Amino acid sequence: MWFLLMLVILLTNGMSAFGLKMIAGWALPETVKYPYLTVWYAGGLAGVALPMMLRGLKVGKTEILWGGLAGALSIGGQVAMAVALSSGIPGHVVFPIAIGGSIFVVALAGRLVFRERMNTPTALGVALGFAAVILLGAS
Amino acid sequence: MGLLFCFLGALSFGLLGSALKAAERRNANASGLVVSSYAWPALAMLVRTLLLKSGVHMPGKVFLIAVIFGTCAAVASWAFQVSIRMGKVTVGWLMMNLSAGVPVVVSIWMYRERLTSLKVVAFVLALVSVFFLFWGQVIEKRAIKEFPAKGS
Repeated sequence: MWFLLMLVILLTNGMSAFGLKMIAGWALPETVKYPYLTVWYAGGLAGVALPMMLRGLKVGKTEILWGGLAGALSIGGQVAMAVALSSGIPGHVVFPIAIGGSIFVVALAGRLVFRERMNTPTALGVALGFAAVILLGAS
Repeated sequence: MGLLFCFLGALSFGLLGSALKAAERRNANASGLVVSSYAWPALAMLVRTLLLKSGVHMPGKVFLIAVIFGTCAAVASWAFQVSIRMGKVTVGWLMMNLSAGVPVVVSIWMYRERLTSLKVVAFVLALVSVFFLFWGQVIEKRAIKEFPAKGS
């Protein structure tokens, strides 16, 4: 199950941002990205909400609070990156710092807050993956 | 000043991953969490769209890809949330970020973008990394089967 989930993450999350690139290729007005993102979020919401409703699951207080926090942190990260880019820092500096830094923060929290221990292959995999993400961001 | 915002972005995204793990520890339902975390930005974007001076115009093909890729993103968020119940948050988060390599490959194929040596090194590192991460998970599963108390 875990392996399947990792493959799903790799493929679906990877492709999720590709639409903006496709739109850029169609030479549409810059403002089209706002309705695009509205439908993008709403489509994602419906894609998970429909099967959830069919299974009779409900969104509780815990989900609303933590989901709200997650949404705020996501927007906060996007805004911070946008400000950094608009202040003249090139993308090949902004993306590796923001993405690599976020992995570092999660790894730190995983070890110190959630007490997760890694075996040697996992630690090696994380180190190599960290380097790969930095290089991808820089490229 | 710009660099400070780079680090603030890193902190914000890092706290996002950690908050999702904290929610999992509080038994938050994965689907409910995704619905809630998509509802707020959807609302914010809707308001931003309605405030556009040029009015709302969206070609059908843009609508279609928005639905497809938005669903992809939500499925990825759901998969991440479920995966951190059985695996490590660091590995799940790393996988979310390694997935940035997939559109790069598609761009090279679809838009004939240049395959630079930097990208080649990144892809090789990513592949070796995924191999080690999967290997680490196999070892952990075996250890849990042999010594159930070790599974944490």
